[in-house]
Amino acid sequence: MKPKQKHIEARIPYGTWGTSYFPSWQSSPLAEVNIGQFAGESMARILSLRGVSTAHLDYLIIGSTVPWHWKFWNATVVANCMGRRIPGFHIEQACATGLQAIAQAAMQIESGSSEAVGVLTFDRTSDSPASVFPERRSYRRTEVISDVWDNFGFDPSVGGSMIASAGAIARKHKIERCEIDELTAYRYEQYFDGIESGFLSRVAVPLQVLTLQGKVLGDVAEDIGVRKVSLETLRSMSEIETCVTSGTQTHASDGMATLLVTSADKAREISSQPEIQISLVAKTEVRVLPTCMPEAPAIAVQKLLDRLGLRMSDMVVVKDHNPFAVNDAVFSKMLGYPWKNMNNNGSPLVWGHPQGPTLTRVVIEALEEAVIRGGGYVLVFGCAAGDVGIAAIFYVQ
Amino acid sequence: MKSMRPSTLESLGLGDVLEIVTKGCLPVSTSDMVDRVFGKEENRGALVISGAGGIVGAGKTMQLASRLVDYQIPIIALDLAGAPDCTASQFKGLQESFGTERAHTIMNSIIRLSYDGTMLPPVLKQWNPRLLIEAIPEKLELKRAHYKLFKEEFPDVHIVSVTSGFPSKELGVDIAHPSFPHHINKVFEMVEEKPSDFTKLLWSLGLIPMQVSDHWSFVLDVFFCGLLQSSIQFCNLTNTPYWKADKYIRHILGPNPFRAHDAIGAKGANFLTWSCLHHLGQVYGELFTPSNELTEHKDSGQNWYPLSHFRPVVNWKLDSQQLEDLKAIVYGSLIQMTTIMINEKRTDLSTMTAIGEVCAQFTNGIPALIRRLGTKQACQLVERYHQLVPPASRTPWYPDTLEDLSTPEWMQLYVNAEHDGKVGVITISRESYNYDVDSELNRAIDWLHTEGIQNVVLTSDFHFSTQMVGADTTEFFPAVTDSSIGERISEEWSRTARRLYTEFEISIGFIHGKRCMGGMLELMMHCHYLIAPEYVRVGMPEVTLPVIPGMEGCHWILRKSSAENTNAMLEMLLNGRQISAKQAVGYLVDYSGTFTECLSVIGDILRNDAKALPKRKIIEEALTHIEAAVRQVPLSDNQQIREAQTEIADCVIASCSATADEALLLQSKASARFIAGKLFRKGKIGIEYDKTYQN
Repeated sequence: MKPKQKHIEARIPYGTWGTSYFPSWQSSPLAEVNIGQFAGESMARILSLRGVSTAHLDYLIIGSTVPWHWKFWNATVVANCMGRRIPGFHIEQACATGLQAIAQAAMQIESGSSEAVGVLTFDRTSDSPASVFPERRSYRRTEVISDVWDNFGFDPSVGGSMIASAGAIARKHKIERCEIDELTAYRYEQYFDGIESGFLSRVAVPLQVLTLQGKVLGDVAEDIGVRKVSLETLRSMSEIETCVTSGTQTHASDGMATLLVTSADKAREISSQPEIQISLVAKTEVRVLPTCMPEAPAIAVQKLLDRLGLRMSDMVVVKDHNPFAVNDAVFSKMLGYPWKNMNNNGSPLVWGHPQGPTLTRVVIEALEEAVIRGGGYVLVFGCAAGDVGIAAIFYVQ
Repeated sequence: MKSMRPSTLESLGLGDVLEIVTKGCLPVSTSDMVDRVFGKEENRGALVISGAGGIVGAGKTMQLASRLVDYQIPIIALDLAGAPDCTASQFKGLQESFGTERAHTIMNSIIRLSYDGTMLPPVLKQWNPRLLIEAIPEKLELKRAHYKLFKEEFPDVHIVSVTSGFPSKELGVDIAHPSFPHHINKVFEMVEEKPSDFTKLLWSLGLIPMQVSDHWSFVLDVFFCGLLQSSIQFCNLTNTPYWKADKYIRHILGPNPFRAHDAIGAKGANFLTWSCLHHLGQVYGELFTPSNELTEHKDSGQNWYPLSHFRPVVNWKLDSQQLEDLKAIVYGSLIQMTTIMINEKRTDLSTMTAIGEVCAQFTNGIPALIRRLGTKQACQLVERYHQLVPPASRTPWYPDTLEDLSTPEWMQLYVNAEHDGKVGVITISRESYNYDVDSELNRAIDWLHTEGIQNVVLTSDFHFSTQMVGADTTEFFPAVTDSSIGERISEEWSRTARRLYTEFEISIGFIHGKRCMGGMLELMMHCHYLIAPEYVRVGMPEVTLPVIPGMEGCHWILRKSSAENTNAMLEMLLNGRQISAKQAVGYLVDYSGTFTECLSVIGDILRNDAKALPKRKIIEEALTHIEAAVRQVPLSDNQQIREAQTEIADCVIASCSATADEALLLQSKASARFIAGKLFRKGKIGIEYDKTYQN
């Protein structure tokens, strides 16, 4: 089917992306660094390994959701840590950040404002920053804010928590616990298959973290904390919510991910395989009813497919941000798409949830898989706090 | 008189070293040169330093005042009223070097005057300025106006600029381009039609004037600024952060170009480097055109290293290809620049080498590097550099200047030999002994043999080398992981040293600089006679570093000393303390007196050999009294030094208990084994190794 889409100028040059591994929270040296600085320096390192000079970049879009030291300066200070004094912009919408930043970069190119935009997303959930916030109308008058855990546990717009929304949607769609356990076990198999086949090492870059004195603090060379989990173990876990156990939901982690969005000419210049052309076809977002977050991605995807005149069968790679296994089961049911056909080589359910960079890593893995498969449409989607669903389709030629 | 190559002293109009040895005196004295530059005592004029409050001006004011304080020369520090004054901050350094009383005397000798920039202070006339050293800001029109002001008032004044930014043809005056740090660095690049009295005065004061020509830039600036330029190019290509590039450049070349700019003061240093490259770029093209990053740092005055709160968090390792690219960019660019300077005959190769090493902190000067690489590899590096940084290829370069590296000028960068048919002089212009010096020394000895010379004096060059500090410890670094390299270095250098003892009828080691230490002292002690003026300091600091002396220091001199002098030598070896040459007479030094007396004794020895001074022969057999003497030397309370003392003591006992022939290999092995061991890594050189090699 010929898609109803506009001519797209922006390209994602192949061979220029990379992600750090995502160690689970409190388990690695990343728990002890300024993550903005780490991200900037890591981006320079990753691009160096990809043979791309940061001198090509004229703009930087960063995405992160957890405050970090010197965050006020946002893209400018991160760009400095990356080694370039270029302008930029900070973008943030919970777990939609990683995909929204890419879309924003594409707009920067389409508008003719830039020729090469770096997308850099990162977060450190470890040791959630705590702050004191004078709020006279609160009953305590001064609130102590713990950025990560306060928001994981409570949606201030409607009350309730995200985990509660997973349970609610599982009940609404009559999802069975046994399906969720099987789905989760399968996701783990996909992830470890991705490691064994060498897929993960194509996208993830080992990084070494230094102390203030310049000594080695430690290595971030794997998704620390991710262990093989059997179906039996998953079945033995007790439910926290309907269909949600500690095994069938993601875990907090730290990390960064980066890719470039450029003009077609620049992509040809800097890509390791310029014959591969990758573009963002379209993106959409929806906001569903309160506490319905896990079904929001499915609604967003359907909306996007309808808009473009595409079907799920047109997609060569489908990958999502799935903080709860329930998300995938619901998506499968709503779109009539087998959950076994998606999330090859891993997904956030397994490798973790550092928020800002999560969907960027999903995109990177999806595009890499599409290139291996010889190209075609790539669907990436996910949910985000606030009952948001976000979806985008890329085309790899 | 014949020489392997011209002496660098000749470029100053000061003759050659052989003349000094045979005539028994220096070519000029300070008092004569003071008279010629400033006039006789009854009519002595003044030295004026304008811009004396700045970093360069203050440094040079103190450097010259401390040396001229006894000559009744009015030293006038002139600067704008309200200008920053760096002279006061020099006092602490003077105190450390000369003691409080002398520091006050030096400070008291400086007359500080201020003016408004347009009119000289009337009081200046009474001091009769004879020499103006101009150190005012790097603005051409400002400088020209300043000279005019002085020339109108004092038509006979000799003006010398310490400019960093302008060539003499633009300024219309002579230049003495100094090197950082200005209060202690002795090197001046002199640009003048012929060596002036001022140049000879600098030499007589123990400073190091070097004759060069300038084409918008001095030799040092081409190296210093050119290195920063190529380092930025590498960082641009690979995203390598500046701090990490520094570490690798330090490894392959010696300096930290980015750190150096920050240390000097990024604002000023970035401007000067940019300015130098900007002008060079206009003359020579894109090889030198300042990069955008340098322009940005020039405009902002920002440091190259991150601020303290952003000390690097992600480590960075170059892969083998990137390391090759780094070498191609850094070496390639510097080789290309060097061919341009050789083509223009900016200076001789020895001077170019010395400028790189003494002023730009290169481990090996670029001509020495080229010689190690060979013509083919040197040219290939430039070609590879042009592939990586294509704009540089649009600047012409001169590979033909590298075609023949076998000429004496290329082959004897550090060591020269001269003779008059009877007496030979071997001079070493490098303060530390390394592979190059060793090879050149062997060639110099071979040459004297082919010339039929049997009597030789080994000394430093009376120019670049003002002291003999010992072995170049960077040569040991490869031996840390491969003890066979350490053994080879130690054995080869020892065999070279022995040639001085075995292959000449008379060999005299003449130490005349500030000090002679470690490996250089081991070399000199192999001569039949060791002569040094009383003020020279000698020592074996190996125990403090720690290393085990590798050029036979553990047994050679003990084989020449009587049993009653053994303890003194062992004290020196095991405690690492420096002593004066006078104190070392009898066991280490054969004669010590005034400088002139020493030269006179050397002349006497060359004529009369042992009749002039007893000639001590080494005992080839095993020594029996050493072990008991070694055990009597008290060990240090410091555990690290005590461990080193024990290792050196063991080596002394082992090598002295063997024959001289066996001892050479025993000591080489012990020295190499030590460098590859744990204790070495805890010491000064080991830490330096870790900084340089552990990335």
